[in-house]
Amino acid sequence: MRSLTIIVLFCSLFANAQTPSSEKDSTRVLEAVTIKAATKSKIQTDMKMAVSVDEFLASSASISFIKKGAYAWEPLLNNMSTERSTVTIDGMHVFGACTDKMDPITSYVESNNLSTIEIKSGQEGSLHGATVAGSIDLQRKSTPFGLSKSWNGVYQTGFEFNNKQFFNLGNVSYSSEKFVADASISYRRAENYSDGNDDDVNHSQFKKFNTSLGLAYKTSDLSSLRVEAIFDQARDVGYPALPMDLWLSRALITSVSYKQLFEKGLVRVWDTKLYFNAIEHYMDDTTRPENLVHMDMPGWSNTYGFLSKINVKKERFSSDIQLNAYSNLSTAEMRMYPQDRGQRTMFAYSWPSVTTTFAGLSMNNSWDISERSALNFGGSLGVNYNYSKYVEFNWIFHPGAPQEKTRFLPSVHSSYVLNFDKFNFTLGTGYGHRAPSVSEGYGYYIYNSFDRYDYIGNPNLKNEISYEVNASAGYSIKKGSIQANVNYFHIENYIIGRILNLGSPMNYQSVGVKGYTSLDFATLFNFSLNANYAILEKLHWKGVLTYARGQDNEAKNLPFIRPLSYQTSLHYGHQRFNFQTSINGDLEQINYSPEYGEDQTPSYTIWNFSADYSFFIKNNKTTIQVGAENILNEFYSTYADWGNIPRMGRNIFTSLKINF
Amino acid sequence: MKKLHLLVVAILFVTISCTLDKTDYQSEIDTIVEEFFEFEEVVSFNESGYKISVEALNGTFYKGYNDIRVKITDIENGTTVPASEVTFLPVMTDGLGKTSSGPHLYDLIYNSTENYYTGYAVFTEESTISDNWVLYLSFTVNNQKFSVAKDILINEQLNKNLNMTAFTGNDGQEYLIALIAPQKPKIAENDLVAGIFKYVVPTTEPGNFPDPSQFTYIKVQNYTLLLDPRMPEPSMGNHSSPNNQDLTQQSDGLYYGVVRYTMTGNWTLNFILKSQSGQTVKGTPVSTEFTPGIEGAKSDLFINILF
Repeated sequence: MRSLTIIVLFCSLFANAQTPSSEKDSTRVLEAVTIKAATKSKIQTDMKMAVSVDEFLASSASISFIKKGAYAWEPLLNNMSTERSTVTIDGMHVFGACTDKMDPITSYVESNNLSTIEIKSGQEGSLHGATVAGSIDLQRKSTPFGLSKSWNGVYQTGFEFNNKQFFNLGNVSYSSEKFVADASISYRRAENYSDGNDDDVNHSQFKKFNTSLGLAYKTSDLSSLRVEAIFDQARDVGYPALPMDLWLSRALITSVSYKQLFEKGLVRVWDTKLYFNAIEHYMDDTTRPENLVHMDMPGWSNTYGFLSKINVKKERFSSDIQLNAYSNLSTAEMRMYPQDRGQRTMFAYSWPSVTTTFAGLSMNNSWDISERSALNFGGSLGVNYNYSKYVEFNWIFHPGAPQEKTRFLPSVHSSYVLNFDKFNFTLGTGYGHRAPSVSEGYGYYIYNSFDRYDYIGNPNLKNEISYEVNASAGYSIKKGSIQANVNYFHIENYIIGRILNLGSPMNYQSVGVKGYTSLDFATLFNFSLNANYAILEKLHWKGVLTYARGQDNEAKNLPFIRPLSYQTSLHYGHQRFNFQTSINGDLEQINYSPEYGEDQTPSYTIWNFSADYSFFIKNNKTTIQVGAENILNEFYSTYADWGNIPRMGRNIFTSLKINF
Repeated sequence: MKKLHLLVVAILFVTISCTLDKTDYQSEIDTIVEEFFEFEEVVSFNESGYKISVEALNGTFYKGYNDIRVKITDIENGTTVPASEVTFLPVMTDGLGKTSSGPHLYDLIYNSTENYYTGYAVFTEESTISDNWVLYLSFTVNNQKFSVAKDILINEQLNKNLNMTAFTGNDGQEYLIALIAPQKPKIAENDLVAGIFKYVVPTTEPGNFPDPSQFTYIKVQNYTLLLDPRMPEPSMGNHSSPNNQDLTQQSDGLYYGVVRYTMTGNWTLNFILKSQSGQTVKGTPVSTEFTPGIEGAKSDLFINILF
């Protein structure tokens, strides 16, 4: 850790010591090799210009959320939990340090240090590592070299009335021919929110501080060195759906990368990165005097990694080849205090110091067969190695389980894209393995407050194997478009918790012990329909409809599958004014899963409205926005709200954004 | 720019170390239990030019089970003396003058490779002002029998993993269960070893004191000790652990089973002792109900441990 600091320091000082001189701009070369991907360009939604990362992700049709409060929602991609997707920051693997998944990676970034979030569905997302559901890559802001305006900045502030959330987000960037710097800082602070009955939802407050810095130096016409760091700290975060809160979580995410562009030849870009991140997460139950036992649950997760990517291009063929390697150490402890504090505390590891080392080579190829059609294909081969330092914990439930386990994780995928006239079609298929997560493989009495079971990992779990088909069809005209996407996963050895007739719970709130087991298979079906239409020149309509179905091998429902949901919105722009209104909701959850702790969630409908006005203060573009979410103050909770905690009631929000 | 760098440096230094340290697992286990490996002299006798040295772990006799080594040497030249019929008998006299003993090996066994005599003793009480223990030893060298006796001190067993319990069985007999291993359990699978003894009621009138026939205990044969470990702390709801194995007798006469402790802390080993014919000698089943907030229910035959 110390030595890493020194490296970071050295690099940044080195970068700063150079004097900028005017040379040829390499950003244009960069643009030429930008890879095709379905990225969301601006970190803002149709309704709100100042959003959290979670709110932004929620605007994607393929993402849904498990929510345990107002903070740190767990993103589900294709209705699959985070174990099945790879969530990365600029390709860097970061793993949360909380056994209860209270800290998905998305909670360690802030909207003002990101430029885009790239979501890839299924095996197409295997570039950064083995996956089943796909990949979510959070991409940081990086200002190009040699901008005509060397200093740029954005300041955003706002207040949300429901939970008295006050936030300040600031970014500054500096760009010269040789040197670029990006810095951001933000602070959010919120109190308890109130639900649709105007009742306070206790323990839903949070405080989050985030800052980031990126420094890049152009080492030659066609190469650059970049040093980046994100520091995130959340304190006093309440989780109303859990029996404990968060005292402190901290993340330090650092990287050094080198990029080389080539004007000639097959290889166009070579991008290499070394990274390190350290996450610490400390829960706190002293705010819950009703708890029978006081318990400390600290967790740590450190990851070292390396990635190297080349982009190859020849005529109609282009290819990304990426080498990923990382090693993660996850440790989580629990210490229970007896009522007589003079007595011996009770200690165990919930993650018994588990090392996960992965190395893999991935490839994505794109071949433009003709003007109208293209073939995308690729694959990856990874090696995943686990080592449980205190394997005796795993032996309690799985006598003789191996301390080390090596798995091979192959994947292949292909898709065919056809465009003619106003129509477009794609048809794709994929196959891929994933290794069990640390909790699934080595977790020890991890309490799940959703179904109220203690979960036990199984080191002998088989790889989960996904067979996938996907298709899309679209029609677009000048005034609008309609697009339907569908995918179907058949997942062998689907990992899920099953009741064990062994042992007894350790956490007093739980009702039993579940072990992670492999179902023979499970199937998942996702469908989404997106449409937009310009009714008038200034009046635009958008609509999204999603449907999903997940079943196990006995055709019983899987948990956390989103019921039929819809969103429809209208946008009207007039001069410097914009007005938008939207209605969204879920229908009644018909296919719920009592076996996995779900109850039926009724339907709900939410109506939102916002208006913004842009003007200039001395050439600085300024926007103010006022809006309201859940205008009708509907009392509701969604299918994925942990413990049916009610969602936020009516929320009036205001924000101000100044560009300079 | 320079200021920005200073800021970064400051932030990095502030964040470089973990806020809370990870638990050192080894020292966590070591805090409560001290494990002993070395046999040291507890007491010695000088008799007719011979030195009789009695050794136990840590040079101390503890309440409960103790492995014993006896060495007999020639004081003059320090060589081992070839003795035979080495006997070992600890006797306690209580405040009322009543004498008793505990399970012990009367005829010690010669270990020819190490040149000492081995046995064991289960001391049923600690030495107090009123309860006094005396050790009687005898041995034969060159057809001459020597007998010695000395007061010994029995200390409190601080390691609860070597606890014992004495009880009267449903058959009216006096039984005793003493834990022998593990000395230092882990959060893991532990081989649990216990001695199960029965007092043999003398059928003859006592002879000259000390008459070993009045103080005989035997290892019970082919009994089964059913095991149900629990955490009695109220917040633990009488938590149990999986994959335990009942104790059965092995060739050395001791009883072996497997206990899994899922975390550190206080545990109760609930037992049901069954005779070779399957009759319950002592013990009652414990409800498997999870009872948070209530001190854990126990079998009427149990031993508490702590690690």
